[in-house]
Amino acid sequence: MVFIFGVNFNEQKLVKKALQSFYALGPQTADRILAKYSIFPGAKIGTLPPKTLTALTAELSTMNIESDARRVLQDNIKRLRDMGTYRGRRHAMGLPVRGQRTRNQTQSARKLNKVERWG
Amino acid sequence: MQPTRCLLKRSVWKGPHIVPLPIVRPEPGKRIAPIRTQARSATILPNFVGLKFQVHNGKVYHDVTITEEMVGHKLGEFSPTRKTFIWDRK
Repeated sequence: MVFIFGVNFNEQKLVKKALQSFYALGPQTADRILAKYSIFPGAKIGTLPPKTLTALTAELSTMNIESDARRVLQDNIKRLRDMGTYRGRRHAMGLPVRGQRTRNQTQSARKLNKVERWG
Repeated sequence: MQPTRCLLKRSVWKGPHIVPLPIVRPEPGKRIAPIRTQARSATILPNFVGLKFQVHNGKVYHDVTITEEMVGHKLGEFSPTRKTFIWDRK
């Protein structure tokens, strides 16, 4: 078990997949971080030296991920809502925002579209 | 908001959608009537800030007071066109 950025990871997990498990950190950013610390793409977490692990944690703490990224998302939706735009209204109602049909199949919108959106 | 997002929605060479609206600068101390318009697709420009518009939604005109953060949006976004469905509405 290895800690990166306060999260416990299995030693068998790929470093790239572990990085991607953070919200707002996708494949491209993960690739870039791997390149920056000269970690080869197939590396597993157990093989990393402790020095690299602390460097990774320091790098992640400077980035705009997890709760920071969620706050940016919620601020954007809240701005639309406070302005009284159509998009903000649809978010508040939990309906599709970009003109999709609403007769059937609006599961994603119902799940995600809200003013305090989490994902 | 990403800075590119505003650029992606319309070609740069076209510029914003500018509609000739009867905009008069109010002289200090004088009130002007709201601008009644059906041009829902008109982009809100920085010189609209503080003005009052009445934007058509197909049936009635909704009052919209332009604030600074509305710049770049369209007038129609602030005038809803659909009535929410309520069962057994009398």
